[in-house]
Amino acid sequence: MREKATTLYIGPQHPGITGNMMVKVKVEGDTIVKATTEVGYLHRAFEKLQEKRNWLQSFTLMCRFCVPESDPMEESYSRAVEAIEGREVPERAKYIRVMVLELARLASFMLWYGGQNGSLGLYTMGQWSVGDRNYILDLFEELTGGRVYHMYIWPGGVRRDLPKGFEQKVLKTLDYIEKRLNDYDDLMFDNAIFKKRTQGVGIVDKRKAIEHGVVGAVLRGCGIKSDIRIDDPYEVYDKLDFEVPTAEGGDIWARALVRRQEARQSIRIIRQVIADMPGGSFYNKIPNPQKWTIPKGDAYVRTESVRGEIGMYIASDGGTMPRRVHLRGAAYVHGITLLEDVLVGENLADISAIMNSLGTCPPEIER
Amino acid sequence: MQQLKANLIEHIKTSFKDAREKDYPNENRLDFYVNKQCIPSILTYAKDRLGYIHLSHIAIVDWLEEGEFELIYIIWSPEEKIKMFVRARVERENPVMPNIDMIWRQANTYEREFREMYGIQFQGLEGEQDFVLEDWDGPPPMRRDFDTEAYANETFFHRPGREDALDVREEIIKRSREEIPDFAKKYSR
Amino acid sequence: MINDKNSQKIVDIIQNWSRKHSLWVLAYGTGCGAIEIPPTMTSRYDAERMGVRGAATPRQADILLITGYLTTKTLKRVIRVYEQMQDPKYVIGFGSCTINGGMYYDSYNTIKVLDKYLPVDVYINGCMPRPESVLAGFGKLQELIGDGKANGATKYKENLEWYKANQKKIIPNWVMPEYNW
Repeated sequence: MREKATTLYIGPQHPGITGNMMVKVKVEGDTIVKATTEVGYLHRAFEKLQEKRNWLQSFTLMCRFCVPESDPMEESYSRAVEAIEGREVPERAKYIRVMVLELARLASFMLWYGGQNGSLGLYTMGQWSVGDRNYILDLFEELTGGRVYHMYIWPGGVRRDLPKGFEQKVLKTLDYIEKRLNDYDDLMFDNAIFKKRTQGVGIVDKRKAIEHGVVGAVLRGCGIKSDIRIDDPYEVYDKLDFEVPTAEGGDIWARALVRRQEARQSIRIIRQVIADMPGGSFYNKIPNPQKWTIPKGDAYVRTESVRGEIGMYIASDGGTMPRRVHLRGAAYVHGITLLEDVLVGENLADISAIMNSLGTCPPEIER
Repeated sequence: MQQLKANLIEHIKTSFKDAREKDYPNENRLDFYVNKQCIPSILTYAKDRLGYIHLSHIAIVDWLEEGEFELIYIIWSPEEKIKMFVRARVERENPVMPNIDMIWRQANTYEREFREMYGIQFQGLEGEQDFVLEDWDGPPPMRRDFDTEAYANETFFHRPGREDALDVREEIIKRSREEIPDFAKKYSR
Repeated sequence: MINDKNSQKIVDIIQNWSRKHSLWVLAYGTGCGAIEIPPTMTSRYDAERMGVRGAATPRQADILLITGYLTTKTLKRVIRVYEQMQDPKYVIGFGSCTINGGMYYDSYNTIKVLDKYLPVDVYINGCMPRPESVLAGFGKLQELIGDGKANGATKYKENLEWYKANQKKIIPNWVMPEYNW
């Protein structure tokens, strides 16, 4: 006896979905037969707004693209503008940029710990990890002045130098967080319920990964080793020593294992950066922003953020305002075509866990 | 790397006669300017024979003065580590482009967005008509001749008090009756 | 029915006191500002000591927290959610985008002034507001409830035609049920 097919709207107001988007599913009993995503609840038309703003004013719009981690967007904008103009960045600024990027990656991992476990019912983990993330945000507040939107990395370097005694505070916070990561492992990865609910769920195999153009931790969870910090290095990543972890299987369990190792590699990178930091200037001064023009040309740069690959394409026509700023986030691929493909055949109760694991963040999709 | 780039140029130019190339010697980037009809065949050739398996981005620029859109397909090869830009132009009045949905599945999302935001028709594209906007009945909004500030002023209420853009420095001076120091004078408007 | 004025005052005091110490916030992140809500509800800036916790559905919630900008597509759903909530209900506008449009003042898709479409009780300023500001906003709302001045819901019921006319002006495809309670 077959059940009748019903249509459900897992809608914009739901405690289980990551952000403000809708998934329309057709179910028979408890199994999903067809899924359609609908986005557009957060569309602000960023790329239209920057047609009226000059090069330095566009930089203030950049960090609001993807809300949980805002520094990779600023960094790729700055690097693209420097590539078109041919501007040199001093060495000390590059090391400081790498430190800020890796701290942002750690903070975003803490938020992911809370979200992934909250979707399965383990709310204790969210209280621990989001509470510890506040220590990293305290460091950001001392360095840049804001907790969430920093606006610190701009074309030519960084905005101000490190305050006195900052490196010791960073090292002390890293020691504390490394100890806490071991506690999270005991609660999350030695947990029989977590293993049973995540192994074999939401599988993305190698053929599907290449056909859909998958990036980031999802690709490393399939067994393919690919990381932009090693393939196409930028800033000072080619002078640093770190590993890129992979796992086999392609399900939620494999991706969680990959992310668990990446957090520890981030801590290793920050310690090397602090030990190797040179002296010198931190900023290559730009001329008067009201009259700053960039010669004609275009550039495309890629950055590795927490979710995957961010691509930023900038075209200039020789004026004081950019001609076109076109950004592509990692969730643009994972959130629409891949999600609709992975959800077929899964259980209705696992939608939230799959969305958290693939890293769908709606502000990045519709800008 | 120069040797790899030279091999690449030779492979592409033997199969596609009217592709012009442009080289960037200091970066790992290579541009090709082609006609819009041979976009599916050149991308399939690069994916199957030359190892360019990853489609990174499809970018679009609106050149209003020349009356054309420019579409740029950016593909990447994990072994040779070179970015290849394939560029094509299409006219602004009734633009029609071929569909590359069957080569990479994620191109479906890009093409749906271009159809809604710029008005470009893709032959054989399936998918819902509305991608981001709902019940929109104006011109395609991302074209350069659509004025967003005028539309926003006309449709929505604004809180009064924003139209007067007072200069902060002059207001403070009026209030405290001081002089602007000389080093700060060159930053005033 | 209590006809005596002094008894009505005592009942009001007890009613307001118990309402203000147990406010449940709807779990709906409508914009950017939803990134500062998890730190407010967890261990460091604990909001649960004031009685504030999350609620899953509109029928169980007291506060609708509009965190940041609203697009027209979201506004249609927010109005429907607001009309499903039961009395007494309050709306808090979070961030400077609800006050005057913020940095998207010339965008064709976001609304600029929230007050014309929904009745707002408290505004919290900032981009982003810190968790301490959020707690201060809740404290101000508790003070208003204690004095009996937080009556956005009655304002909505009395001026229903004006609010509906403003809403229908920007939402062209109106397929919502008529509000009759």
